[in-house]
Amino acid sequence: MTRQVQDAYIVAATRTPVARRNGMFAHVRPDDLLAHVLSAVVGKVPALDAHEIADVIVGCAMPEAEQGMNVARIGLLLAGLPDNVPGITINRFCASGLQAVADAAARIRLGEADVMIAAGTESMSAMPQIMGNKVSLNPAIFANRDNVGIAFGMGLTAEKVAQQWKVSREDQDVFALHSNQRASAAIAGGHFRAEITPYTVRTHLPGDGGAVRVVERVRDTDEGPRPDASLEALAKLKPVFAARGSVTAGNSSQMSDGAGAVLLMSEAALKRYGATPIARFVSYSVAGVPPRIMGIGPIEAIPRALAAGGVKLADVGWIELNEAFAAQSLAVIRELGLDPARVNPFGGAIALGHPLGATGAIRTATVMSAMQRDPKLRYAMVTMCVGTGMGAAGVFERV
Amino acid sequence: MSKLIIRKVAVLGAGVMGAQIAAHCANADVPVVLFDLPAKDGPPNGVIERAIAGLTKLDPAPLAAKDLAGHIDAANYDTDLERLRDCDLVIEAIAEKMEWKLDLYAKVAPYLRADAIFASNTSGLPIGKLAEGLPESLRQRFCGVHFFNPPRYMALVELIPAPATDPLMLDALEAWLATRLGKSIVRAKDTPNFVANRVGVFSILAVMHHTARLGLGFDEVDALTGPLIGRPKSATYRTADVVGLDTLAHVIDTMQATLPDDPWHTWFRQPDWLQALIAKGALGQKTRAGIYRKDGKKILVLDPRTGDYRPSRSDIVSEVATALQTLNTAEKFAWLGASGLPEAQFLWAIFRDLFHYCAVHLDEIADSARDIDLAMRWGFGWARGPFETWQAAGWADVAKAIQMDIDAGRAMTKEPLPAWVFLRGSVHEAAGSYSARDNLLKARPTLPVYRRQLYPDALLGEAPADRGETLWENGGDADGVRLWTRPDVDARIGILSFKATLHAIGDEVIDGMCEAIARAERDLDGLVLWHDAPFAVGANLQQVAEACKAGQFALLDGKVAKFQQVSMAIRHAQVPVVAAVEGMALGGGCEFAMHAAHRVLALESYVGLVEAGVGLIPAGGGSKEFALQAHRRAQHAAGRDVFPFIQQSFQTIAMATVAKSALEAVQLGFAQPSDDVVMHARELPYVAIARARALFEAGWRPPLINRAVTVAGRSGIATCELMLVNMAEGGFISEHDYKVAKAAATALCGGEVETNAQVGEQWILDVERALFVELLKTEKTQQRIAHMLETGKPLRN
Repeated sequence: MTRQVQDAYIVAATRTPVARRNGMFAHVRPDDLLAHVLSAVVGKVPALDAHEIADVIVGCAMPEAEQGMNVARIGLLLAGLPDNVPGITINRFCASGLQAVADAAARIRLGEADVMIAAGTESMSAMPQIMGNKVSLNPAIFANRDNVGIAFGMGLTAEKVAQQWKVSREDQDVFALHSNQRASAAIAGGHFRAEITPYTVRTHLPGDGGAVRVVERVRDTDEGPRPDASLEALAKLKPVFAARGSVTAGNSSQMSDGAGAVLLMSEAALKRYGATPIARFVSYSVAGVPPRIMGIGPIEAIPRALAAGGVKLADVGWIELNEAFAAQSLAVIRELGLDPARVNPFGGAIALGHPLGATGAIRTATVMSAMQRDPKLRYAMVTMCVGTGMGAAGVFERV
Repeated sequence: MSKLIIRKVAVLGAGVMGAQIAAHCANADVPVVLFDLPAKDGPPNGVIERAIAGLTKLDPAPLAAKDLAGHIDAANYDTDLERLRDCDLVIEAIAEKMEWKLDLYAKVAPYLRADAIFASNTSGLPIGKLAEGLPESLRQRFCGVHFFNPPRYMALVELIPAPATDPLMLDALEAWLATRLGKSIVRAKDTPNFVANRVGVFSILAVMHHTARLGLGFDEVDALTGPLIGRPKSATYRTADVVGLDTLAHVIDTMQATLPDDPWHTWFRQPDWLQALIAKGALGQKTRAGIYRKDGKKILVLDPRTGDYRPSRSDIVSEVATALQTLNTAEKFAWLGASGLPEAQFLWAIFRDLFHYCAVHLDEIADSARDIDLAMRWGFGWARGPFETWQAAGWADVAKAIQMDIDAGRAMTKEPLPAWVFLRGSVHEAAGSYSARDNLLKARPTLPVYRRQLYPDALLGEAPADRGETLWENGGDADGVRLWTRPDVDARIGILSFKATLHAIGDEVIDGMCEAIARAERDLDGLVLWHDAPFAVGANLQQVAEACKAGQFALLDGKVAKFQQVSMAIRHAQVPVVAAVEGMALGGGCEFAMHAAHRVLALESYVGLVEAGVGLIPAGGGSKEFALQAHRRAQHAAGRDVFPFIQQSFQTIAMATVAKSALEAVQLGFAQPSDDVVMHARELPYVAIARARALFEAGWRPPLINRAVTVAGRSGIATCELMLVNMAEGGFISEHDYKVAKAAATALCGGEVETNAQVGEQWILDVERALFVELLKTEKTQQRIAHMLETGKPLRN
């Protein structure tokens, strides 16, 4: 990828805490969460003239209802950005947020823009079912055996991966336990504090004499991790997706609500606004795999992204691998020989949650924070598998 | 007295009984305030709120629909007593401690309205003593109302007056308990443990005594004292575990303390093994160990000789069982008396002592023999009460045998049978039931509320029920239908009753219904579909299996078509057809009910389309009805999309879900919100006749047949298949389950037509029928049918 005219730099990144589905953000709208992170990320560069933002690209996996109507445009207007700033909602399911970062970077690298915002938002609480408000499948899917995988639930694909890559139930549970332990330790150590912009939730409760009582609570901590997780408790859970399977609620990612936003600039813009870059956007790759084993997507995407950026795996010090399921995470780690110590040092989606289209932007904020904390961390990566069979990976270099 | 209106009930005490009584009030659409002590920690009503939430998790369910829990408010004695002022009926159900109860009465009395009824659910404390704890002014509005556990399911409520209780208030309360709560009432005297527990606990003590005397195992005795003698499956010892061994011990102690002059007094004590279990904290089901204990999947039973548990035998079959199953009551007792088998001796002994006890105490504890028999049926789930059993066994012969055993010292006491026993040949007669106190026959109570029960539970020996006037019938004694009326109730509303076992629907029923509906259209103003429960268990599978075996699929197609015609005839008859449902209404029975102009359902109705269990889909119009419902509901829903409504019914049908109450039947779409839910099943025909009459008087006209039903079509089928693919790939369902469920989806979605196509009702009927016959042709469906006929259980293949 040498045809770019200039580099794209990440200048700021932030996120909301991630809530469990029907948890602390049960009644918070995803467009409000989006507006919140958009104004927060813009606020991180006080000198920035918001009129100069060329576009706001927002990833969302179920862009309908509360997060429909081109939520990008609605969110940026609610955030108080000027009318002249456009917005586009994109959807590559679980990679939507990372795709937004890659697309925003691409516009800068092509020389089309100097300031871009990439973001992601998702409220799985707002969806009446996890497949969206209205599920309607094409009959042709069932007419051809080759297409049936399209209809496989994500958990079922994880079972298929567990079978094919021989990932045991015990290994999955141990992985899940580590995810919870790492995430809990990171929270206890205050390591997410820098990347999270707290969100104030207003709740209306019945008050005395039929009145309504308004309670405001500042939410600044991820809700998912279970510090008390244990192998015994994990081992007791029943498989959900297959009668004799190994994938449980405990070793799968949590359904969540949350949003993240990333501010990108060209070198010219950095100079113009006196902004300090955190990282250079190095490369991005996305690849398709059979839908029935969608979880192995990163096996295809990671080597391509590394090759495109000319980066060696050994030089990548921090990998945010979205833990859709422990089964597929372990298959990816083993197949590519990833160093478990560098994968999700602060835990992953099993503990921290996975608000689908927002995850890519949220985890980008996590690696930016890691780079700011650790001067020795040169390369970092955000990668995930994607429903209906894809993988995506993005590489960042500390500057 | 003026009309009794109960707008709100308060229940004091959120324990097992209190919470469940509250739940049953909610079932009857009566708002309830459930009181208890404030919690020591946390929110003051926290414990009570947890008790209310717990009601949604119990099995059997105290609530007929989960959302009813929202009509029970939590309150505590410290801050909420003001709320009692809104309550027209206050039921106290706290622990059985006289001092506690009196303390509470003193506390609540100032808050009770002058016209409120105050009642205690005590199971044994003297009502007269409790009344003395109340200010004079409240005493005439105080009485005992003793519910049985679980209160939703046990019919009995004992109504016990205190000396000052206003008799008119009692009559009004009895009527309310009957119609509004659906309970069956026995008026009890204020004697220890009242009627049912007095006899029932004695019966348990007698069983325990003879178990030990004859060295039988608890599991053996349960096999003998369950359904084999017309008692519940949990029989004696398992029932004790369910009730709680501590509770049982408490009741035994009460008898010990309060009945010093009872000739059986020496037997009112806890056996050693029971004391040992209680001392160990093994109190039965609630502590997961008692007389029985579960070890993984194995059930263990206590061996009283060793104090250890041993594996329980569930396969106890003996000569006794065969004899009991084949003989009539008189022969049974003759056989038991003559047999030398320990099991036979055991059974004779427990009946002998039960009869003996009841005869001696009749004058003291009950108004008539009928009250004891009904109390045992309604409160303990016995099929027959002691007196009617005795009478059916041959009154004089059994009396002689009992007296012989008493004289020989074989009975539990030397107390002779009272003289009246030998002066009579029976206790239940056409004129009434015997009252030992008044030495005469007493007729059934004549309160107006009982005019609503056209067919009350009848005792052996009573006057036969009025069979009404038969207009037409077919199929002999054990098949087909009878069309009849009760001219004394409404001579122009016909009643159509099935005659086959479990009211299965076979060829004779189908033919009979065609004719009966035609006759009703011609000669009557309306038609009620009613017979005793179950409403109908579905199509006659035997006939289906035989036709399959003979490869007569064209014939079967014709039969299904005729079934569909009957469904459509019910729906489109020129007179209103009202289905009166109690108990199971499954498969074809459910389809007939769904097609009625109106349904009157007893609260305890179990309704479902369970065809999937035998590898079939609803094809008597049931699939069509759900497609039609989806169409109707979608007309008023945003987007007019029919699929969300189909999706719900697809799951219901594919999983053969059965509604476990009339309210759940409405939620699942088997019944409609405008239908009537009747709390007392014995009021069903009365209400159904009245409803048919009202529909006729309102100018009944059959609905038009819909010629443009919007169906979900191919995309709908595919979206159902999404679920099936995942369940099949996950190994949750078999290939044949998939096939059957896909057929159900196809019928519900109106066939392989384009999404949102408009089709006529007959098209959907044709689709469901064709899919049904296709499934019948498959080997696996035929295996499922055969298995169901052999075992009564569904086969998973």
